Amino acid sequence: MEYEVKLKKVGRKKTLRQRIKENKSWQNLSTFIWPLVFGLIMIGLWQKEVLHSWFHTDTFTLPLLNKIGGIMGDIHEKLLENTISTVQVAFWGLLIGSLLGYLIAVFVAIFPKVGKGGLSVIGAFASVPVVAMAPVFNNWTKDVSTDAGFRSMVSKIIVVTLICAADMGLNAYRGLTEIKPYSEDLMAIYAAPKRVTLWKLRLPNSVPYVFTALKVSVPASIMTAIVSEYFAEYITGVGRQIRENIVLAQYSTAWAYIATACLIGVVAYIILMVLQSICLKRYH
Amino acid sequence: MSEAREVEIKTRNLGVTFQDNEGNDVAALTGVNLEIMKGEFIALLGPSGCGKTTLLRSIADLQKPTEGDVHIQGMTPKEVRLQKKFGFVFQQPVLFDWRTVKKNVELPMEIMGYSKGERSDRADEMLEMVGLKDFAKHYPKQLSGGMQQRANIARAFGLDPDILLMDEPFSALDEFTKEKLHEDLLRIWRATNKTILFVTHNIQEGVFLSDRVCVLSPHPGRLSAIVDIDLQRPRSLEVKETAHFNELVAKVRGSFEGGSVS
Repeated sequence: MEYEVKLKKVGRKKTLRQRIKENKSWQNLSTFIWPLVFGLIMIGLWQKEVLHSWFHTDTFTLPLLNKIGGIMGDIHEKLLENTISTVQVAFWGLLIGSLLGYLIAVFVAIFPKVGKGGLSVIGAFASVPVVAMAPVFNNWTKDVSTDAGFRSMVSKIIVVTLICAADMGLNAYRGLTEIKPYSEDLMAIYAAPKRVTLWKLRLPNSVPYVFTALKVSVPASIMTAIVSEYFAEYITGVGRQIRENIVLAQYSTAWAYIATACLIGVVAYIILMVLQSICLKRYH
Repeated sequence: MSEAREVEIKTRNLGVTFQDNEGNDVAALTGVNLEIMKGEFIALLGPSGCGKTTLLRSIADLQKPTEGDVHIQGMTPKEVRLQKKFGFVFQQPVLFDWRTVKKNVELPMEIMGYSKGERSDRADEMLEMVGLKDFAKHYPKQLSGGMQQRANIARAFGLDPDILLMDEPFSALDEFTKEKLHEDLLRIWRATNKTILFVTHNIQEGVFLSDRVCVLSPHPGRLSAIVDIDLQRPRSLEVKETAHFNELVAKVRGSFEGGSVS
């Protein structure tokens, strides 16, 4: 009897704080409440010019948020036009690069002796800074078309392609080769030909790794598109507009494009997360 | 029990030698001569490192012998493997996470090119047999270890193989689940009349399940004794309480050379 009483008392000792902490829906909610609170504090510090005093700057170089917002409204047509340009580069580079990287990974997984070196070469390529690559490809693509806009686009897409191909190649290769112990023996027992093992074991096994790669390469494709715009022949894209406006000391307009770049990144990442939750449903 | 039966598997002076990291030869298995009858339940029993898994893998053509040979139904292991006459249950349930339990059971049939309807019917039948009918649509990670291993067994039976090779299939399971699966396995074996080779390091398990226990001893791995298990069939768990069961366990334990087992 005495024990029961004691146990009850211990049970009651759970503080409100503990109970809130252990609450499942609070846990879910808190994952986005904290970032939100942090974001609101930052906005407050920015708008009240606290940030300006911390970083010894002024509202000309770091315009207030309402001003940036106002400009975004004013030039929304130009923003959209440049956004489309940047998104096109990022999207096509991401698509072609990821496909290329995956195909290379499959090739290396099938012919490890021939391919291993190729994977290292790609890895090395990806570590070349975009600022170094972009001018090279500008030069390289100068005979592709008489349309400066088009050949500029091709040059930028190539840079994004290379970055994404390296990321996908390295991750997909792991997905194709890091398989559960005994799975290969299992396929051998049923005398499965190599292509069946590839199709039924290696490819499905690589799907989560594809998303690991995309989580890096989706933001990277946008960043690369933006940076390669700096060096492109034809003046277009969010990144190029940031540069053009900073050169002209139009900081508020530059910040409007910076905010747009952030938005593109956030939206692309959300799309990726939704895709992932659909595709990886059965992988638990 | 002892009617004249045909020999299903025959090993002649079978040996497997590995090379260790320093390039020295290590004999995993030497001079194994063994005859296994059709429909027989054989336990391969021994401590770690006695070559029992190596012996099983050599028979399944997952491991090339370095001396001697294996004949199965008058063919080489490779020919038998290519004819898909083996079922293999591994130590771990090798289920693919992205497939439902039923789709996992269908995998060998997909490789064999069975039609969709045939696959589905057969998989249902197998899942019913191992008591997983209600879990057909679950994914492997939603199942307990025991259920996963049962799905593994259902898959191995799916192609109706002549020979079932089981490599310590229940060693990772708790005692209650294990006993349940022992009874299930004997029931399925009786119904299907397969030849089963069952690797284990547990003496009671080997004695309870098999017709004959092949005792292997380590350093080097070799076949040191074969003990006939003349317990009546069908067997239930109560047989473990009998004096004769314990005599057989003692007899098996006494036949190890160099090194004792649990």
